[in-house]
Amino acid sequence: MLHCVFLLSEHGEVMLEKQWMGQQVDRSICSWFWKQLHSRAKGHVPSVIAAPAYYLLHIVREGITFLACARSEMSPLLGIEFLGRVADVLSDYLGGLNDDLIKDNFVIVYQLLDEMMDSGFPMTTEPNILKEIIVPPNLVSRVISVVTGGASSMGRILPSATSSNVRWRASGIKHANNEIYFDLMEEMDATVNRDGFLARCEVYGEVRATSRLSGMPDVTVTFTNPSILNDVSFHPCVRYKSWEANQKLSFVPPDGSFKLMSYRVKNLKNTPIYVKPQLSSGEGVVTVNVMVGIRADPGKPVDSIVVQLPLPPAVASSDLSANHGTVTHNHNTKISTWNIGRIPKDKAPCLTGKLHLAKGLDRLHEYPTLLVGFKIMGVALSGFRNDKVDIEHVDYRSFKGFRALTHAACYEIRT
Amino acid sequence: MNADNRKGELVELKNQLRQLAGSRAPGVEDVKRELYKKVISYMTIGIDVSSLFGEMVMCSATSDLVLKKMCYLYVGNYARGHPDLALLTINFLQKDCHDEDPMIRGLALRSLCSLRVMNLVEYLVGPLHAGLKDSNGYVRTVAAMGVLKLYHISPSSCTDNDFPATLKTQLLQDSDAQVVANCLCALQEIYLAEASRSDGSLKDRDSLYTTSVIYLLINRIKDFSEWAQCLVLDVVSKYVSSNPEESFKMMDILEDRLQHANSAVVLATIKVFLHLTLSMADIHQQVYERIKAPLLTLVSSGSVEQSYAVISHLHLLVLRAPTVFASEYKHFYCRYSDPSYVKKLKLEMLTAIANESNTYEIVTELCEYAANVDVAIARESIRAVGKIALQQYDVNAIVDRLLQFLEMEKDYVTAETLVLVKDLLRKYPQWSHDCIAVVGNVSSKNVTEPKAKAALVWMLGEYAYDMLDAPYVLEGFVENWAEEESAEVRLELLTAVTKIFFKRPPESIKMLGAALAAGLADAHQDVHDRALLYYRLLQQGVEIAERVVNPPKQAVSVFADTQSSEIRDRIFDEFNSLAVVYQEPSYMFLDKEHRGPIELTEDTGILPMDSKLSDDVLPSQHVEANDNDLLLSASEREESRGGVGNGSYAYSGPDLSGFDTPSPAAPSNNASLSSTSHTSPAIDDLLGLTFPAAPVPTSPSLKLKPKPLLDPATFQRKWSQLTIASTLDHTLSQPAALPSPQPLLRHMQAHSIECMASGGQAPKFKFFFFAQVADSPPSTGFFLVEFVVNTSSGISQAKVKADNADLVTAFGNLFVSTLRKFGSS
Repeated sequence: MLHCVFLLSEHGEVMLEKQWMGQQVDRSICSWFWKQLHSRAKGHVPSVIAAPAYYLLHIVREGITFLACARSEMSPLLGIEFLGRVADVLSDYLGGLNDDLIKDNFVIVYQLLDEMMDSGFPMTTEPNILKEIIVPPNLVSRVISVVTGGASSMGRILPSATSSNVRWRASGIKHANNEIYFDLMEEMDATVNRDGFLARCEVYGEVRATSRLSGMPDVTVTFTNPSILNDVSFHPCVRYKSWEANQKLSFVPPDGSFKLMSYRVKNLKNTPIYVKPQLSSGEGVVTVNVMVGIRADPGKPVDSIVVQLPLPPAVASSDLSANHGTVTHNHNTKISTWNIGRIPKDKAPCLTGKLHLAKGLDRLHEYPTLLVGFKIMGVALSGFRNDKVDIEHVDYRSFKGFRALTHAACYEIRT
Repeated sequence: MNADNRKGELVELKNQLRQLAGSRAPGVEDVKRELYKKVISYMTIGIDVSSLFGEMVMCSATSDLVLKKMCYLYVGNYARGHPDLALLTINFLQKDCHDEDPMIRGLALRSLCSLRVMNLVEYLVGPLHAGLKDSNGYVRTVAAMGVLKLYHISPSSCTDNDFPATLKTQLLQDSDAQVVANCLCALQEIYLAEASRSDGSLKDRDSLYTTSVIYLLINRIKDFSEWAQCLVLDVVSKYVSSNPEESFKMMDILEDRLQHANSAVVLATIKVFLHLTLSMADIHQQVYERIKAPLLTLVSSGSVEQSYAVISHLHLLVLRAPTVFASEYKHFYCRYSDPSYVKKLKLEMLTAIANESNTYEIVTELCEYAANVDVAIARESIRAVGKIALQQYDVNAIVDRLLQFLEMEKDYVTAETLVLVKDLLRKYPQWSHDCIAVVGNVSSKNVTEPKAKAALVWMLGEYAYDMLDAPYVLEGFVENWAEEESAEVRLELLTAVTKIFFKRPPESIKMLGAALAAGLADAHQDVHDRALLYYRLLQQGVEIAERVVNPPKQAVSVFADTQSSEIRDRIFDEFNSLAVVYQEPSYMFLDKEHRGPIELTEDTGILPMDSKLSDDVLPSQHVEANDNDLLLSASEREESRGGVGNGSYAYSGPDLSGFDTPSPAAPSNNASLSSTSHTSPAIDDLLGLTFPAAPVPTSPSLKLKPKPLLDPATFQRKWSQLTIASTLDHTLSQPAALPSPQPLLRHMQAHSIECMASGGQAPKFKFFFFAQVADSPPSTGFFLVEFVVNTSSGISQAKVKADNADLVTAFGNLFVSTLRKFGSS
């Protein structure tokens, strides 16, 4: 059971607190926590820690810390998932997350927190239901309030979904244009080890849907090759039995955007691009040479290629240049970034230069790891593809769309 | 903004609110809303605006929902500090409880319950009863939680009005799944608190874990929201299934929960599966196979924060069933961006799952980390390589890798590696030739850490034949004796020099003299003693000394493991809990004394039980004194706390007064109390039976502390120090009542005997229990019990150790009588 939630700004100031239990948690816990955060190296405070009298769970989103206190044993993931949901809902309501937005809309935030948790136990976190209880402070409602002279930011009707079996969807939804879009988004995680072998490569994918359909539609999505998926998890609306029987996604969608399913595909054989670094050091100088090129053509252009080179502490200065793209160096973070963009047809992009080691050092003992980013529009790297979408129980024609996007999440090359 | 300004602004706000209070002019709501917003924004940033309470309440007569909500918020925040003014709000809140809009009814009821003012409890009962019967589900969900809030304010008025029974009915009958979930949540809390308030039995709570309730919940699982599902699954995990078919059926229904997008649901489901199959070894293994993929997906799918919590659980499972995860080793490779606490867990998992088929890849990967920028991780990964080397049969390649580390010429890498090479040589002496060739090249100047230095010195002494310059290197160390700060190194040095003397006397006799002289003059007792020992041994003759100091060695086959598996088992019982993330059993954190003063109201709730329990052994005066003492300390703590949270006194005050009255009366009515009656006759019974010699009055009677505290380290220390004072054999009357350790643990706990650790597979279980004499100071008066039971035959044996040997007999009786009651009660 969570006792309370604090929202801390980037500088550790308490912007908002919400208590759910009779015995209030004193704010001083926040400064204790903030001290912990800064007495350790950055990013090294685990999401669950024990304070003298409480267990503190926290997540950080867009620089804002969501800090929750618990006093008794509980499921840590319940707390963390809940905080994540709070962050999602707030960012959805306020159109982003930052100090000013929260301070300007604290009444909305209080209302939301009030509905999302009662007595320390999570209640309604489904955005579609929340929106029926508390109207978001968007442009539309502001216009309405001007026109009608001060309508409240409260839904007047009680959500019918709270007591229906399809809890994620209200009845009687109407749209002028009926449409449903699917976004296949894949992230590639890969590690190339020092010998140049692909130590691991896997894809984590999500199918996000945006539904604007009237009535109670029953949607079925089929895929051409569902057998490649290693593990799947679904939005509560998906009928698991149907997936188990014939690998079809069958569901009554919530209205609006939601994550329909996520999956994992492991042991991919190849990455779409290669990055080959060569580092040789001696006499206080490291000679760097990094080549980048297409390895396995995904069928669509590979975009926004970026290679980051975090320099080890032993490096005093760097002198790097490239035959294509731009090279920048951030002196605070000690990261050199090579922006390549797209790989040109006529030449192979290459980064060359020297790193000068700090005085007294002859060779480099800590080898840097290169972090690579890229984006491919229109292709799901794993090869996962949709086949068709059927919508039943409706009497209108609707527009259906599918998009795919792959990007590198954690693609690292060790040297 | 300085204090004066702020004060002025508050006064102005007050005036404005006062003017608006009666006004019904058009547009007044908008003005009010702005003012309210200002007030609440002050409240938000921590400025005390409680002085506006009266005005805020006066303005609250409005139909505007946002205004109402802001007002509820304000009132909820300050009512406890101003109980008199809070009375003003009752009127409008009660009116709102009858509003035609269910939303307002719900909100008003929630606010009413959140006032938490003791003297307003009477106004709560009516609206709550009405709320539970409301036609609207939203209001009923609020009401169910409201009952829990009422219980927290005043347990007696909650139970006197039969709310728990009403909730129980609602739990079984309500059509709205969220109402059911809230009832379940409230009931669980209430029963748990009731148990510690009254006789300590969890009978009420256990009535939730019956077949009918569990089936009802499982069959409706899909109607519940994801959070309610977590709650339900948690309840299901406490259910003890009667037969395998039932378990299979339950798992069948719940299986798709493993595919849920919410990680909390997945973890809760995993816990249910693990518990249901605990007694079926082969199915248990299949469960591991089944949950592997979802867990690995959760690790890669969610946020960093979530991933850490999942990895902690994964870590626990991997250590329990390493073979299941052996093929997934790539998932435990560290990423550059992983925080070091995650990397550390991953390294431990990689070490655990290494086997013949994946060792090469894992060690290759670990070796790359040795060049990591993060020094702590680099060290850990070298240690991991060493651990794997010690586990495996084929260490050939690993030794080569370790030796490569020495060539990296990085001081901490060298240091860690030296320690490992030493351990390796102790286990695999056949590798000495290759290792020594490389170790010989290590310049002793680059070795600064005591452990590494000691390792190097040991190798120099042990392999003096293989290293030509060993005596000269050691000589260097001896010359710097005075600068050597670590006693560990000096001890090792004495041994090494003595050993080398046996092997190459001409080169080392001078150094030996110097080392012994320095050792004898050493301020450190151990060093001095060892030098003296060697000196006297050498006086007896070189051969005798050699037989003692450097006998032929046998290779070490197994190194003692550091983490006790019992503690891991205990953590395992608490799967899906904070304990797993901390890697410590929860009693380390969650016992009341660890919780700070805020727990006080509950503490005082327990005190009466304490005093009554003591009555059968302590003179009544003592009880009163003891009681007063506790009362005093309780109120002192209460006062000291008053400064921190304002208004908390009003909340806990009634509890204190309620506790005052029963204590003087206690001696007269103690016989009727179940908690006393079931201990004393049992003792008599046993005294007559097993120990006929001990007459009742002179035997030191024994009273156990209800919640003893002992950490595992102290337990282990005590266990190894103390001798077995008594061994008790006992045959359980109903051995079949023990399908898993949990029921026995609960039973013993209810009788003040706590479990430190438990483990084993059916039919054989092993437990470590401990208990403490009631009035003993902390860390004394403990009883430690190792209890082995065979559930198929019912034969059990307990070995008792005690701080105070006089009380062992009494404790033994108590222990056996408690056992006797298990299964029959």
